Amino acid sequence: MHSWLVGICDRLQNIRLVVWLVTAQYAYPFIQWTHLTGLSLWLGTTLALDFRLVGAGKRFQTAAQLSDALFSWNWLGLGIAVLGGFTLFATAAVGYIDNPAFRLKLGVLLPLALTWHIFVQQKSRTWGRTPETPAVAKLAGLMEIVLWVSVAAAAVWIPNY
Amino acid sequence: MLLCEWLEQIPWIVTITNSAVLISLVWLIHYLGFFLLVGTTAVVDLRVLGAAARNLKLAPLAGQLFPLTWIGLGLVIASGFIMFAGQATTFYPTAVFRIKMGMVLLALLFGMIVQRNLPVWDRAPSVPAAAKWIAFASLTLWIGAILAGLEVAAFIPGI
Repeated sequence: MHSWLVGICDRLQNIRLVVWLVTAQYAYPFIQWTHLTGLSLWLGTTLALDFRLVGAGKRFQTAAQLSDALFSWNWLGLGIAVLGGFTLFATAAVGYIDNPAFRLKLGVLLPLALTWHIFVQQKSRTWGRTPETPAVAKLAGLMEIVLWVSVAAAAVWIPNY
Repeated sequence: MLLCEWLEQIPWIVTITNSAVLISLVWLIHYLGFFLLVGTTAVVDLRVLGAAARNLKLAPLAGQLFPLTWIGLGLVIASGFIMFAGQATTFYPTAVFRIKMGMVLLALLFGMIVQRNLPVWDRAPSVPAAAKWIAFASLTLWIGAILAGLEVAAFIPGI
């Protein structure tokens, strides 16, 4: 299983376009830029809903209204982040799949946070009908903030291996 | 430059810079800070441009998001200062770093113009064209600042 995966990663990082992205001057920051711009949109909108569920800004709009307003840009942000993230991965795929911080991020924390996000976003329509959100919504929002912070923490730790 | 040398030698700055855990924590705060800062600013700008959150009035949406923008800015400044201080003599003369800081300051200026004028724009029957240009400038500058920041990291090896 593992050698099969390494084979795919090896092919991925030797695609001519990927090799060019690594070797060309100024190119690499553009890939990071795609990842981080997407993440700004994704996490900016995600955390905004989480803080609203926790109870911030009750007088402005309900969590349901906010969730609805941010929905499409939220997912567009993830799409951009994944595009950049996949390209970043491709540039050094063999190294990444053996990196413990990367494995923790992609294998455990990211799937958890994403699943939790979908659940929270769905539920915010019912939790967020009234200005005051129920206790379970506050807890769920807080949980999601913690989950995304841990995803980011694992990502920041990747270069240390 | 003398000030930069002094900054680099502050004991707690040295401690943080030389510790993998602490400097990673500072980077984490910098990332999370600008996700909040840029993400929330972008949504308000996109709303002014008529591209996002059209079901909400401008002022309440901004009321919800601006506190997060300011929290993000606080996190970015605090962590950014530590990142700068640790290698101040390297950062300070680098052109890309100066370009980045210029873009950030301009973006903040445009952000504040948006924030100040929101109530007026919200009362108008439709968002004025000038407002849209300002929002567009703010959005472009922030996206540019992220790229410039990454170019700084690429130009200065070892950070």
